[in-house]
Amino acid sequence: MTEPAIRIASMHKYYGSFHALKDINLEIAKGEKVVICGPSGSGKSTLIRCINRLEEHHSGVIEVNGTPLDDNVDNIDEIRREAGMVFQNFNLFPHMTVLENCTLAPVLARKIDRGAAEETAMRYLARVKIPEQAHKYPGELSGGQQQRVAIARALCMAPEIMLFDEPTSALDPEMISEVLDVMVGLAEEGMTMVCVTHEMGFARQVADRVIFMAEGQIIEQAPPDQFFDNPQNERTRTFLSQIVGH
Amino acid sequence: MPAHHPVIPAELPRQNVLTWLRSRYFATRRDAAVTIVFAAFVAWILWSLIGWALLDATFAPNAGEVCREDLHGGACWSVVSTRWRIVLFGLYPFEEQWRSAIACIVMVIVAVLSCLPWFWSAKRLPLLWTAGFAIFYVLMRGGFFGLAEVTEQNWGGLSLTIFIFAAVSLLGMPLAIVFALLRRSSLPWIARTMALVIDVIRSLPLLSIMFTFAIVLPFVLPEGLTGDKLYRVIVGYALFFACYQAEIIRGGMQALPAGQEEAAKALGLGYWHRIGYIILPQAFRNALPPTINQFVITFKETSLVTIIGFFDVMASGRAASGTADWNFAVVEMYVFVGLIFFVFVFSLSRYGAYLERRLGVGRR
Repeated sequence: MTEPAIRIASMHKYYGSFHALKDINLEIAKGEKVVICGPSGSGKSTLIRCINRLEEHHSGVIEVNGTPLDDNVDNIDEIRREAGMVFQNFNLFPHMTVLENCTLAPVLARKIDRGAAEETAMRYLARVKIPEQAHKYPGELSGGQQQRVAIARALCMAPEIMLFDEPTSALDPEMISEVLDVMVGLAEEGMTMVCVTHEMGFARQVADRVIFMAEGQIIEQAPPDQFFDNPQNERTRTFLSQIVGH
Repeated sequence: MPAHHPVIPAELPRQNVLTWLRSRYFATRRDAAVTIVFAAFVAWILWSLIGWALLDATFAPNAGEVCREDLHGGACWSVVSTRWRIVLFGLYPFEEQWRSAIACIVMVIVAVLSCLPWFWSAKRLPLLWTAGFAIFYVLMRGGFFGLAEVTEQNWGGLSLTIFIFAAVSLLGMPLAIVFALLRRSSLPWIARTMALVIDVIRSLPLLSIMFTFAIVLPFVLPEGLTGDKLYRVIVGYALFFACYQAEIIRGGMQALPAGQEEAAKALGLGYWHRIGYIILPQAFRNALPPTINQFVITFKETSLVTIIGFFDVMASGRAASGTADWNFAVVEMYVFVGLIFFVFVFSLSRYGAYLERRLGVGRR
């Protein structure tokens, strides 16, 4: 048995006195695609933000590729280089061109020379189907294009894991599919993926496992067929009927 | 024709100057009356100004006697054409003033060059300024290469003003960045201590800080750490500058969405990379207008060094018209000094406007 890509054991997280994540236990295998869903405030974003230390957990263990996430800054930076993240609001750097957005971290954090980094960046920009935008600024692109740049930017670091935090929630409806297409392609190539999303079609198509969270706990997890067709928990059923029912 | 008036109403496409004037300034009887009264007033003021400054003025050097007996009462620019060297060079020895002039020009060239985007790199900018200060110092101070030594106490005039301004800015800006970063440190005791230091220094008048550094510090610091009075004043002024500028930079940082730093973290960029490539460039862009403002204020307040016995351009101007021969031409001298300040400050604010336009690219 190889070591899991992500291992979380007895993990708790508090905001002041608010108990945001309660006793999270989760293992994600290499190459596995996991979709996390749940009502707002259920802690799903907090959970994946704990995986790359954008949020600090208070007790328990988080390991990424066997590297423990503790106060050691080198470990944190190592994990962040291995786990790319895509945000709801894209968070592209507005003062840099698309190409500069994509080459900055490889050049600075991976010490790759600029020429090679630009070549890699252009390859990934071609893959997300916007190579012609390389010299534009993020402000000149549509939301869907910006999110595809954000995915390319994360991929340029050659991560082994990709974390998606509601990547389509801030997009206009007609732009959602162009981003999901890129994510599906990524999944088909065997990337380990953790996605917080409400795109249930996407979950059905690519997920190996769907996790339902509520009030800071993992309530139910199952393969998509079983999860959608035969949910075990009452709250899962209520949630599914709410998001599918309209 | 009216093309240079951008606010022409769209429904009047082919109007000429007359109809434009009429619709703008003579639309009603009352409008016409107000326009005429004010136009007459402005014309009268302009006419007296031109008369004083140009038509009735005396320009020739060494014409103090002519000015005194002049019945028209025009400006006596003679004071400027006779004694301009004092304004520009202060107490600097007369035969050596060419050095001061070159030093001054070198500094201005360095300042202008550093405004060009080509020099905006971590290598070129420090190199440029180090070279600029080295040339300035060697020329002004002398004692090398057969140049006669002129101590800081005899530096003065415009050269001294430019030197103080450049030194304060260059020392103060890195210090301001450090202060701003400490101020937002994640360790509360560091952040709070820095906040206290900034608040204390900001609550003191600049004058008292200069005075403390110039006069009091030598009694407190051990021998050998004190340096020349001029440099102590510059350090004190730089500290004062840094506290204000640090708050300006902090404001620029706070305007950034939290997602910017998070995205940089998520890419595995370390602290200094995040600060240097993501946070500061955007913070400076946000904080550009108040930063230019700060430079303008700093340039003008260099005049305060006169209180501890340095003759900056302002004090030199006063000295130049302060003799018995010229004491009637104080206004002319102030106008001249004011013009010097205007040239520098106005270029600075135009440069600020250019930067704002340039940096606005790509951000919508």
